[in-house]
Amino acid sequence: MNALDLIIFLPLVAALVVWRLPDRFAAAVPHIALGVSLATLVVGLALWFEIGRAGQAELVAQHEVSWISLGDSDAGGLTIRYHVGLDAISGALVLLTATLVPLAVACSFSAITHRQREYYAWLLALTSGMFGVFAARDVLLFYVFFEFTLIPLYFLIGIWGGAQRRYAANKFFLFTFAGSVITFAGILYLAIRAAQLTGDRMVTFDMLRLSSLPGLSLVEQRWLFIAFFCGFAIKVPLFPLHTWLPLAHTEAPTAGSVLLAGVLLKLGTYGFLRFALPMTPDGAIWWAQPMAWLAIAGIVYGALVSWVQRDIKKLVAYSSVSHLGFCMLGMFSLLPVGLSGSVLYMINHGLSTGALFLVVGMVYERYHTRDVDQLGGLALRMPILAAFLMLFTFSSVGLPGLNGFVSEFTVLFAAFNSPALGPWFGALGATGILLGAVYMLYMAGKLLFGPLREPPNTPDLARGLTRDLTRREIAILAPLAVLVVLLGVAPRIVTDPLDPVLDAQVMRRIEGRSARRDAPPPALVWSSSVEPSGT
Amino acid sequence: MPIVAATSLAQLPDAAAPLIPWYAATLPFWPLIAALAVLLTLITQRGRTQAHKFVVGGVGVAAFLALHLFFVVLGEIQRHQSAEHPASAAAVAADPHTAEAAHDSGHDNHAPAPKTVLRFPLYRWISLGGEHWIDVNFFVDSLAGMMLVTVTFVGLMVVIYAVGYMRDHHGHPEPGYERFFAFLGLFIFSMCMLVLAGNFALLYLGWELVGLCSYLLIGFYYQKPEAAAAAKKAFLVNRIGDFGFALGIFALYMFISPLVQPGENPLDYAVAFKYAAALSPDQCTLVSLLLLCGALGKSAQLPLHVWLPDAMEGPTPVSALIHAATMVTAGVYMVARCGVFFVGSPIALTVVTAIGAATAIFAASMAMAQYDMKRILAYSTISQLAYMFVGLGCGAPDSAIFHLYTHAFFKALLFLCAGSVMHAMGGVIDVRQFSGLRAVLPQTCRLTRIGCLALAGFPLLSGFWSKDEIVHAAFETSPLLGALMLLTALMTAYYTFRMFFLAFGGPTRLPPEAGHHPHESPAIMLRPLAVLAFGAIFAGYLGVRLSASRDGSFLGFLAPGGFFHDYLASSTIIRTAGHEGGAWLMYLSSLVAVTGIVAAWVRYGYAPLFDPDPATFGRAWRWWHAKYYVDECYDRIFVRPLRRLGEACFGADRNLVDGLVNLVAAVPTGVGLALRSLQRGSLQAYGLGMAIGIVALLLWWFASAGGVNAALALAARGSLP
Repeated sequence: MNALDLIIFLPLVAALVVWRLPDRFAAAVPHIALGVSLATLVVGLALWFEIGRAGQAELVAQHEVSWISLGDSDAGGLTIRYHVGLDAISGALVLLTATLVPLAVACSFSAITHRQREYYAWLLALTSGMFGVFAARDVLLFYVFFEFTLIPLYFLIGIWGGAQRRYAANKFFLFTFAGSVITFAGILYLAIRAAQLTGDRMVTFDMLRLSSLPGLSLVEQRWLFIAFFCGFAIKVPLFPLHTWLPLAHTEAPTAGSVLLAGVLLKLGTYGFLRFALPMTPDGAIWWAQPMAWLAIAGIVYGALVSWVQRDIKKLVAYSSVSHLGFCMLGMFSLLPVGLSGSVLYMINHGLSTGALFLVVGMVYERYHTRDVDQLGGLALRMPILAAFLMLFTFSSVGLPGLNGFVSEFTVLFAAFNSPALGPWFGALGATGILLGAVYMLYMAGKLLFGPLREPPNTPDLARGLTRDLTRREIAILAPLAVLVVLLGVAPRIVTDPLDPVLDAQVMRRIEGRSARRDAPPPALVWSSSVEPSGT
Repeated sequence: MPIVAATSLAQLPDAAAPLIPWYAATLPFWPLIAALAVLLTLITQRGRTQAHKFVVGGVGVAAFLALHLFFVVLGEIQRHQSAEHPASAAAVAADPHTAEAAHDSGHDNHAPAPKTVLRFPLYRWISLGGEHWIDVNFFVDSLAGMMLVTVTFVGLMVVIYAVGYMRDHHGHPEPGYERFFAFLGLFIFSMCMLVLAGNFALLYLGWELVGLCSYLLIGFYYQKPEAAAAAKKAFLVNRIGDFGFALGIFALYMFISPLVQPGENPLDYAVAFKYAAALSPDQCTLVSLLLLCGALGKSAQLPLHVWLPDAMEGPTPVSALIHAATMVTAGVYMVARCGVFFVGSPIALTVVTAIGAATAIFAASMAMAQYDMKRILAYSTISQLAYMFVGLGCGAPDSAIFHLYTHAFFKALLFLCAGSVMHAMGGVIDVRQFSGLRAVLPQTCRLTRIGCLALAGFPLLSGFWSKDEIVHAAFETSPLLGALMLLTALMTAYYTFRMFFLAFGGPTRLPPEAGHHPHESPAIMLRPLAVLAFGAIFAGYLGVRLSASRDGSFLGFLAPGGFFHDYLASSTIIRTAGHEGGAWLMYLSSLVAVTGIVAAWVRYGYAPLFDPDPATFGRAWRWWHAKYYVDECYDRIFVRPLRRLGEACFGADRNLVDGLVNLVAAVPTGVGLALRSLQRGSLQAYGLGMAIGIVALLLWWFASAGGVNAALALAARGSLP
């Protein structure tokens, strides 16, 4: 039992405790949940510093025991191990999760009034699942956690959601589950092939082993990539598979939206990074351009659809489609700078979109509407909220000096300069610079500026809220605001530990493979005329 | 046009360049600290009315440091020159006559002026995949020195002015007083970062941050829907340009990175300029045109000029500082800074010239048919910026920067005077609503007259010298272009004084909003105006040289050249046009200015109630008045179709894409049914389902994996001997 096991299982244990707590302690439930989540944050921070100290060579807080073992090494069989450990990639996402969970818990204090114990229990269970996914070093363990996260979120949306919550919960569950079943088949195939190729009778699911397989044919890799794609692209969500997302986001309670956008979508991108790229490098190279096209389509499509929303929560939800498009574009540039930008994008999107959902939730609690046509000029009523919203808006728009810029710039930069993609991809992706500003400023302008517009009989201050933000709400948003600025000014606190790990675990696989590709890399449009004549 | 072969900046010192003193490197952070201090007063709710003290102090320190830096660069230039040409350096230090001689000899030999650069690395900001990175570093040369002095000095005047302006008639601060000063501080910080930036990414940072401040300050009166809309429009139009700008940076990296030595960053100015000569003309064209997109947005040139007139919704000090004197000149600064790429591409230079010339006359014509004082000045700003672009395109970037510098004084002065009028008239700024203000606001009237004369290019005032240089460079390029510039000058003189006479001439007539006793502005507003007026008159003499006139005429006695140009010659800008202005051109342009002023006096001297211009110019005037319907066209061509596309996508999203997916999902109806029962059912039912599922899954694994392994085992055994 080390620190990593602790943050995986502590929330789960706490969830059970909270769920079964006697009635007289019911009032303490939110605070217990907050306390547990803060404890995981402390441990998560400690682990992150540990990663910084340990360097790239080893996993931090590694724990490996056999879980399910069938057969033996003579007759053949399979082993599933409980194997967890953190490197900088998973560590960064664990820390992101640990940061967002306490905020999600705290924002529920006034928003959730019925079935509180169950609510916090599910929230804590979800936390366990999210930590587990990023920590898992065994592919099947990953898969178990990956699927496990669906259950709490299903209930969080289905019970505490909005008017269409049941439809949304079902659709969300079905969609993501359907995709991941195919991924599961792919994982099984890969594990069995790995056993064949290495001449080992035991089928194991060790991540490192599967990501250093020699000898998978190009055809196999192409199909395996599609198998991964089915599960992860839905989760991301990549362009045509995104339709579950706006609905789930809109109907989910604020905490659900924050964690969904902040962490759970990253399961998809993390999956691509951890599985598709290193395990099927040839497949990834083969599919890089189609993936980039989908990503660009998502960037443009998400932005345009965002712009015409009247429901601000839906607007933010569609903006995720656009933003995750950037993330995928950077990843499939297959350049070190693109990968590191892509991971940074995951973090930054988690922070700023999470923050936007929190702000939208705070508006909704007061006005019981999210319709931009019914709201306006709120800067007059809520100057503090307005300041926070402007900050997060500009973070989301990619204003230099804030976090969003660094990842957006590096991602587009990578796409533009990538041998796998090329300038046109970068140029088309960069239209997102403009379109992102269009819909975000549209929202901020509608909501905050102009003459004051409030629905009748609002703001509703029945639940201890004040007109402008309460101290609790400020305390929720302030850490995000600090991080938004900090990561904009010093992004290297994330990327410095990240770069060597990405290089060792992903880039080396890609680079090793791209040499033996049949086709030469696509020629860069302008590079033919580069003549280094006299310097 | 005699484009001299691209001067290489290969001799540019990079890593070995000397450092600026550390305390001078703190320059941009003082206004930032001031802005943060104001934020602190906002949080603590104490001392909010004292917010201006922080910002005036912060900008004051910045201005002092900028002046210091100016002389540090000068000292470095002299040291540099004395190392290379001992004689000429001594001359620069000594008196102007010998300096001129040295200068002339330098030109006759076509020897490139030695480039002098100082630097200051702060920290490593973004890693670009390990090999290259983006630093936060400063790059200081005489161009940056000149810009910094202009920005901080005009900024200081405007901030002081705003202390008086942002109060009501009783001297109480307006609502949002502290917010206003915090944003101004942030703006000065951003602008200084833009100018000091030592690489293209940091330039982009400053570039976007000034855009942010512009957005925040245009939308300062956020409850006015027009202000909110104008703010959004400004940001979005600028983003169109920034889209190109970002691609330009990417392209630059793409072309430069194969050439650099290990340890050099392709995006650093020093490195990029060093290898610029190795780029092919096509590459230069691409990079230049993409960078130019950014400049067109920021400097409000065709076709991205539409945001600037609307930006006048912001408070007047903002219009003066951001939308006249400093931020909008960032495009000119950037093109001058990246001159080495533009000079490498004749196409790019031609495009710059063409856009500049078209914008100059286009904006001037619109300015002739407006009634809002601030909008007239806004169109005039666009037109004057276009002059600078013509200067850049004609290979006279130092003349463009010279005009930038003089323009900052007289245009800030004019805007602040308009603000003074607005302050007295209770917010009314339409020149049809009042006249004869010379009796009510005598000081403002005098100061406005100085500003108008300088803008009109009246002889011996600052605008005259700088505009003349550009007109001259235009004549050198093509007589037609020169004639166009002179025509624009005529229109400028005319509309400037049309505005002046309509407001200050004729019988005294006041709008009801002005109240009973409209009063002159307080001293805290008038004193900065006086300083700016001094600049508007005399600033031009920095760029003028006393010379023994060639034909014995009076104006030839003062020729363009002198300290300003000698100073700028050591920066990274590259002048390819000739240097001397002919005396005949000076007479001609004086004549043009005076003609315009007299024409305005004849037609508007008595502030007629009935505007004679619409009748004179007929249909053309209505086009000018309607701003050529550009806004409407953009709305029809771009905004609405894009919005409709969004609606269509959303419709498709709900019906087509979702429908397809639902159709696919509907095939295994059983799954749906099972789930429907699940979400109706209790937790226990769900748990049961999970348990069954897990068992089934495990069984399946066992079967399949076992089967496969058995097969494997069999195969292995079979292959054994």
